[in-house]
Amino acid sequence: MKRRLRDVPPALAMLVPSMALLAVWTVYPLVMAFINGTKSCDSTGRRCNDVGWQQFSNVWQSREFQHALGVSLKLAAMTVPAGLILGVGLAVLADKHLRGIGFFRTAFSSTVATSVAVASLVWFVLLQPEIGVLSDLFHEWIPSLKQPGLLRDPGTALPAVALSSVWAGLGFTFIVITAGLQGIPRDLYESAYVDGAGSWRRFTNVTLPMLSPSILFITVVLTTRALQTYAEVSLLTGGGPNPEKSTTTIPYLIYGRNSVIQNNLGLKSAAAVLLFVISLVFAIVQFRGFEKRVQYAR
Amino acid sequence: MRRSSRTPFLVVAAAGLFVAACSGGDSITDTGATNPPQTTTADGSTPVETLAPTTSVAPDTLPDCPTSALADAAGTVELTFWHGMTGPLGEELDSLAAAYNASQDAVKVNLISGSYEETYDKYLNSSQSSRPDMVQLPEYTVQGIVDTESVVPVGKCIDDAGFDLSHFLPVALGAYQTQGVQWSMPFNVSNPVLFFNKKVFEAAGLDPASPPQSLEDLRAYAQQIVDSGAAKYGIALDSGFDSGGGWYIEQWFAKAEEFYVDGDNGRTNRATKVLYDNDTGVELLTFLQDMINDGLAVNVGDNSGTGYDNLLKLADEQQPAAMTIATSASLGPVLDVLGSGQFPQITGDDVGVGPMPGPGGAPGALIGGASLWIVDKDDPVKAAAVWDFITFLVSAESQSEWAAATGYVPVRDDAADVEPYATTLANDPRFAVALAQLEASPEGLTSAGPVVGPLREMRSVLAVAVAAILDGADVKASLDDAAEQANNLIADYNARNS
Repeated sequence: MKRRLRDVPPALAMLVPSMALLAVWTVYPLVMAFINGTKSCDSTGRRCNDVGWQQFSNVWQSREFQHALGVSLKLAAMTVPAGLILGVGLAVLADKHLRGIGFFRTAFSSTVATSVAVASLVWFVLLQPEIGVLSDLFHEWIPSLKQPGLLRDPGTALPAVALSSVWAGLGFTFIVITAGLQGIPRDLYESAYVDGAGSWRRFTNVTLPMLSPSILFITVVLTTRALQTYAEVSLLTGGGPNPEKSTTTIPYLIYGRNSVIQNNLGLKSAAAVLLFVISLVFAIVQFRGFEKRVQYAR
Repeated sequence: MRRSSRTPFLVVAAAGLFVAACSGGDSITDTGATNPPQTTTADGSTPVETLAPTTSVAPDTLPDCPTSALADAAGTVELTFWHGMTGPLGEELDSLAAAYNASQDAVKVNLISGSYEETYDKYLNSSQSSRPDMVQLPEYTVQGIVDTESVVPVGKCIDDAGFDLSHFLPVALGAYQTQGVQWSMPFNVSNPVLFFNKKVFEAAGLDPASPPQSLEDLRAYAQQIVDSGAAKYGIALDSGFDSGGGWYIEQWFAKAEEFYVDGDNGRTNRATKVLYDNDTGVELLTFLQDMINDGLAVNVGDNSGTGYDNLLKLADEQQPAAMTIATSASLGPVLDVLGSGQFPQITGDDVGVGPMPGPGGAPGALIGGASLWIVDKDDPVKAAAVWDFITFLVSAESQSEWAAATGYVPVRDDAADVEPYATTLANDPRFAVALAQLEASPEGLTSAGPVVGPLREMRSVLAVAVAAILDGADVKASLDDAAEQANNLIADYNARNS
């Protein structure tokens, strides 16, 4: 006990830098967002009225927020499973000791070095209906590539954004899962093999359980990322196509260049806080829901 | 076990998210209007008297601009300038600023660029101390910036310096005036013009030297282009908020000599409602909808992404359009891009430019583009330094160079006598179209365009309605719906700012 008390001052000293960063860049803005969310201010920002928690429920119930929430949830429902399955699949495929495998590992993880902005521009140029490569090559077989174009068709715009998003996020998933795979002791596979397990059995009964901490981590990160999707939407669709606003996610409703609450800090803050709460609930549910099935190495 | 007992609650909470996501509700634009702020200050002191919707600005309460203060500066004054020029336009502005910095050592300007929207957002969301010394903002921000009470009106500097405005376009100055105050200095002036493919016009038997003036002409031209098979579509239309879905509608109302918002376009009194849900609006949008329904026009959507989708439709090899409407500011960049010859469908020389066709064929256009604002830093030296840089940017020489490189209209008529713009105009009449439109604008406040606090958000609201209309929705109902939302936005804004 004495010894532990002696450890407190150095521990605190070592924690100070990261705590200071968290306090300044995370906690303070979050508290300010809560406070601003209860206010209605004029353009100077100096004359404000306290409207209280009512503003949060007004924003929550508004049809714009509900619509954006629906879009964000749909996007998450597309990108999280797709990103997870592709990431795990590619990582398992590349986790072999074969000649030249390094090339594939590099290729699969390369999107880590690609910013979302660059990835989105690449997809924008590919999908652009007038001068884009894909529409030039395939418009005879898939006319909607040309008119109106995948990003301009209300039915395909969100999947097209999801495609770009999954592609851009794949490298990160691949690396985390690959690291997880390398932490699995090989003797587990050997004993499973000796017990007569085929390769599918070994995947479902050894690989997946042993990967569960990585998978949980990736699921939470991908979900949070999907709910926070802004850059892809901004660069690919601008929240459109209108009038459906098929790709206006919650972040785009808040910050987008055509946001109808652009001028109203109170409403924007309230919406941002709601997004935080939604992400938090998702993360908690995922942790609690998977907790019992996750096998942490002992 | 203690932990898992909470799980059902969380699952229910998560399920609640989904259920709530399905129920309808009021518009978010209503929420603010029901909660007008009271004028109380944070420290509980007596509130400062604010501008009531009907009173005029009291010029004595606005900050002064002692332009001679620059002489008192100790050493070089460093200025920060936020601007909205990107791509080739940004490079041109950089070179103007470099020329200014090299020409004298009293002032050094540092430029920070973003899009118009980013610059405006950043400005609104910054505290006064983190705002720049000078900012360039687009025409739709006038009322929004005035209400931040954060600027030195350039009119004060003009008066103090006895600055000669005789060569300036009155309509350009007027766009940045409300209630008799010259708030900012016009710098880059643009307006929408008709871009067309001369090759297609010739193939359709049309004269590229006489592009359509009225909406009836536009339809007849499009019909002939489609009938002759010269191009798949006559014109590419878009519903972007700063193009076909918002800005052009304001332009068409000005051309029809009608107000867009009440209060004489918000110029004499604060605007309280939009007027575009009237017969003029219905007629105009019905016309556009019919063009699409009859296969004469193609809808390229909200022109998001690059903002050039409508222009790219002219370069489309398989299903091109012959015409589109775009800002005159894109003329320079468009000629640059097409000049490289990467699009066989249209080269730089094939691009024709005509006035924006409008109701009745009346000439005229609203001022678009942006102006330069002096931020009130409570420092006469800074304000004087910004003023010095502004006088450089709006000199005939700078305006000549700027206009020749970009396609923007010079803010003063004598820029046309100075090189390089004099040669540009003589060699390429396409650069003269936007200026001619402005000079032909009818007198009066309808030609000054709307000033209203949430004009940008109102454009977004209208853009959704225009998109619906181009997709075939009922014109009157769509406009009524947009007008209701826009009026809510104005009510909320005015409630917060009066």
